[in-house]
Amino acid sequence: MIQFFRRLHPQSLRILALAIVLLLTVLFFASQIDGYFSPRMLNRIATSVAVILPIAIGQAMVVMTRNIDLSVGSVVGIAAYLIGDYLGTHPDVHPVMVVVIALALGAFCGAINGALVAYGRVPSIIVTLGTLALFRTYLVEYSGARSITTAGLPQWLVDLPQATVFSIGNFDMRLTVAMSLVAAIIFWVALSRLRVARKLYAVGSNPDAAVVAGINSSLVVFMSFVLSGMLAGLAGFMFLAKFGNITVVAGLGFELKSVAAVVVGGVNIFGGSGSILGVVLGTVLVDTIDNSLTRWAIVSEFWREALLGMLIMIAVATDTFMTRSFGRMKGKSE
Amino acid sequence: MGSPLVAPVLELRNVSKSFAMTAALSDMSLAVVPGEIHAVVGENGAGKSTLIKIMTGVYQPDSGEILNEGKAVTIRNTHGAQALGIAAMYQEPMVFPDLDVAENIFISHRNLGTFMNWGKLYQSSDELISRLGVSLDVRRAASGLTLAEQQTVEIARALSLNVKVLIMDEPTASLSAHEVERLLNIGKALKARGVAVLYISHRLDEIFRIADRVTVLRDGKHISTKPIAEVNHDGLVKDMVGRALDKFATKTKANEHGPLLLSVKNLSLDGVFRNVTFELHKGEVLCFGGLVGSRRTDVGLALFGISPSTGGSIALDGRQVVISTPQQAMDYGIAYVSEDRRKLGLAMTMPIYANASLASLKKFLRRFGFIDRAAENAMAEQYRERLSIRSPDVKIEVGKLSGGNQQKVMLAKWLETKPRLLIFDEPTRGVDVGAKAEVHNIIRELAKQGVAILVISSDLPEVMALADRVLVMREGQQMGIFDISDCSQERVIALATGQDQVASAA
Repeated sequence: MIQFFRRLHPQSLRILALAIVLLLTVLFFASQIDGYFSPRMLNRIATSVAVILPIAIGQAMVVMTRNIDLSVGSVVGIAAYLIGDYLGTHPDVHPVMVVVIALALGAFCGAINGALVAYGRVPSIIVTLGTLALFRTYLVEYSGARSITTAGLPQWLVDLPQATVFSIGNFDMRLTVAMSLVAAIIFWVALSRLRVARKLYAVGSNPDAAVVAGINSSLVVFMSFVLSGMLAGLAGFMFLAKFGNITVVAGLGFELKSVAAVVVGGVNIFGGSGSILGVVLGTVLVDTIDNSLTRWAIVSEFWREALLGMLIMIAVATDTFMTRSFGRMKGKSE
Repeated sequence: MGSPLVAPVLELRNVSKSFAMTAALSDMSLAVVPGEIHAVVGENGAGKSTLIKIMTGVYQPDSGEILNEGKAVTIRNTHGAQALGIAAMYQEPMVFPDLDVAENIFISHRNLGTFMNWGKLYQSSDELISRLGVSLDVRRAASGLTLAEQQTVEIARALSLNVKVLIMDEPTASLSAHEVERLLNIGKALKARGVAVLYISHRLDEIFRIADRVTVLRDGKHISTKPIAEVNHDGLVKDMVGRALDKFATKTKANEHGPLLLSVKNLSLDGVFRNVTFELHKGEVLCFGGLVGSRRTDVGLALFGISPSTGGSIALDGRQVVISTPQQAMDYGIAYVSEDRRKLGLAMTMPIYANASLASLKKFLRRFGFIDRAAENAMAEQYRERLSIRSPDVKIEVGKLSGGNQQKVMLAKWLETKPRLLIFDEPTRGVDVGAKAEVHNIIRELAKQGVAILVISSDLPEVMALADRVLVMREGQQMGIFDISDCSQERVIALATGQDQVASAA
C-alpha cells in the first residue's frame, strides 16, 4: 500500500486526497441534514458550482503564472448587470451573441488587469485590488442603484436555469451546468496538452528561464488575465440566468471563493503547477460546504466566509507541509 | 581511518540514510578533530550533501550514531546543531541584504538585551572580522558585499556563536583567484583557533594546499580517509570515480575548423564592457578567460539578446544582424547555456521532458496547437541516454535531480534547438570531475560536428583543455586574443590580473 502511494505522482496523490475529503464532507452533511441526498440538493449544488467553476479556472491560470486576480467578483457583477441591462432594451439578440458579449466584456476587463500587470509591471495583487474597487464603483455609478429584474429579461433567459440537457432519475443535467463542465473539459485538455499551456507553466515555474528559452512571458501573463476576465464574463452570464434579479452587489466575494477553490484544488500559490481536474474538485468541495452550511441549522450563515478563509489556510499549509516533506526526500543529493 | 591524536569533536558512526528506495549514505563513519581541516571529496550524488544535512540536523539518520565530544547525541534541527557548535556555510551565503555587516553577524544572538548597544556590537564584530585576518567595514550594508565578503560575514557569524565544527560546502566555487586565497587563509586562521573545518570542494588543488586529512565518498559509501601526505592527485581522483581518469590533456594545436560564422566588432555595452572584437569559425572553440566579474558573462548575455549591446556590430555568415531578444538569437541559431541553473536555466517544478523541449516547442507542435507528447518523450529519453542523465525516467521533476544532472538537462534543452553557435557560461561550475569530463567530451564532439562554440570559464585547466583560441578580459576590456599554441595558464593569469602589461600589447 505504501509502495503504491510512493509511486503515485504528488499531483495525483493530491487529487485522490481531495476526492476523499469531498466524500467525507458529503457524508458528514448527510448525517446532519435531513434529506441531504435529494436530487434537489444535488441540483442546487450543481447549478451553484456552474457559476463558480469558470471563475476558478480563470483564477487557476492566473495563479499558475505567479499572479492573482482579485477583480473577478466585480467582473462577474459588471457582466451580469450590463448584459441584463442591454437585454432589457434589445430583447431580440441571439442567445449565442449574448454569451459572446459576456465573454468580450470580461475579456476587456481582464485586458486592463493584464496590461497593467504584464506591461506596467505593477504587482497583480495591487492592480486587481484596485480594479476590484474600480469596476464595482463603475457599476454602482452606471446602475444608479437600479436593479435588473426578471421582468426585463427575455423569456429564453428566464427559462434557461430550468433548461435540461438530460435527466438521470430525478437529477436533471441543467444546461448551465453542462456549459460549465464543457468549459472545464476544454481547459483541462488545453492545459495538459497545448503548447501555450506549457509556456504558462514555464513562466510560473521560472520566469527568467522562460524568457531565456524565448518565451514572451509578458504576453503569457497578459493572456492569462484576459482568459480569467473572459471566464468571469461567462460566469456573469450564468449568474444573470440563475438569479434573474441583479443588484450592484452581484458577484461580491467571488474572489475569495475562487481563490479558495484554486488553492484547495492544489494549484501552487507560488505558481508553476496545478491541474484543472484539481480545480474542479476544489470548486465542488468549496461550494458543497458553502451550500450545505446554509442548510445546516447549527451553524450561523455568517460562518460561511470564515470557513472559506480557514479552508484556504488549511490548504496552503498542507501544501507547504507536503512540499517540505517531499523536498526532504529529494534533497540535493550530492 | 587515520588515527587522530586529539579526541574527535564530532563523530559519525555507521550512519545510514536512505530516501524512498535509494541509499544516500550507507554505513558512513567519519570523525573530525579540533584544529584540523578535513576535506571531503566525491562526485555529485556521492552523498556529501546528505552528510552535511545529517551533521546539521536537517536530516535524521536511519541508523548509526552521532557522537559529540565522545557522547552520543541526537541533532534534531539546525538549532540543535548550533547548540553543539556545528555550523555550515554554503556556496551562496545567507545574508540579510538590508542589514549591515555587524547586524548580520549577530543576527542569531538572543542575549543582546532589550536595547541594542550599537557601540559594543560594532566593536565585537570588528574583533571577529580581524580574527579572521581580513578587513571589512562592519557598518556597511550587506547588500553591497561581494560573494566572498558575504562568506566572511557568515564565517564571522559562526565564530561569534563559538563554532567548533564549521562545514564549508564548495566555498570557492564562484570566487576569483584572489578571493580563494583569502578564503584559504581564513580556513587556516580557524584551524589555528582550534576549530574543526570540514572542507568540501571539487577543487583538488585547494585541498592539497590546506587539508590535513581527506575523506573520499562514492555512491553514499565511505571509501577512504587518509592524511593528505599519503595521497596524490591521481589516487584521489581514482578513489572518487572508482577508476583512473584521463588527465585533461592541454591542447597544443588548434582544431581544423570550418568557414567563418560569427564576426564581432567593437561590441560594447555602456558602463559594462567595451570594444570586444573577435571572430569565430564553425567547429572552433573560443574560450573567454579572465577573473570572475571581468564582464565575460555580459558579452555572452549581449550575444544572446538578454542584455543587448549598445555599440559595435555583430555579423553572422557575413551578414550584419541585430540581436535584441533571446527569441531573435534563437532564430539565428544561437543557444546560451547559463551558469545559473536556478535563475536562468531550469523550471524546477517541471519534469525533465518539459524542460528539454522548452526552447524548441515548435518542433513538437501538432495540429491545433497540441504537443506531440510521444515525440517529446522520445527526444528526452534520447538525451537521457546520450548525456547519461541519472534518473529513472524523464517524468521526474528537474528540481529532484542532483546539480550535475540538472546541468545535463539544461544542456539537452539547448542541444535540441540544434544551434550553430553555442555559448557555454561556466559549463562545469560545481560539477564533479566525472561529469566534467563528460561535458568536455560533449563540447569537443559538438565542435567536431561543426558547431561554433564559445566557452566562458574561470577554470584555467578547462580553458587549456578546450580552447582553440583564448580571449582574455579584464574589467570589461579585451586584454588579448591568441591561439592555444601561444597560450599558457601563466599568460592568461597575467592578462586577467593586469600584472603583465607587456604581454597585453601582444
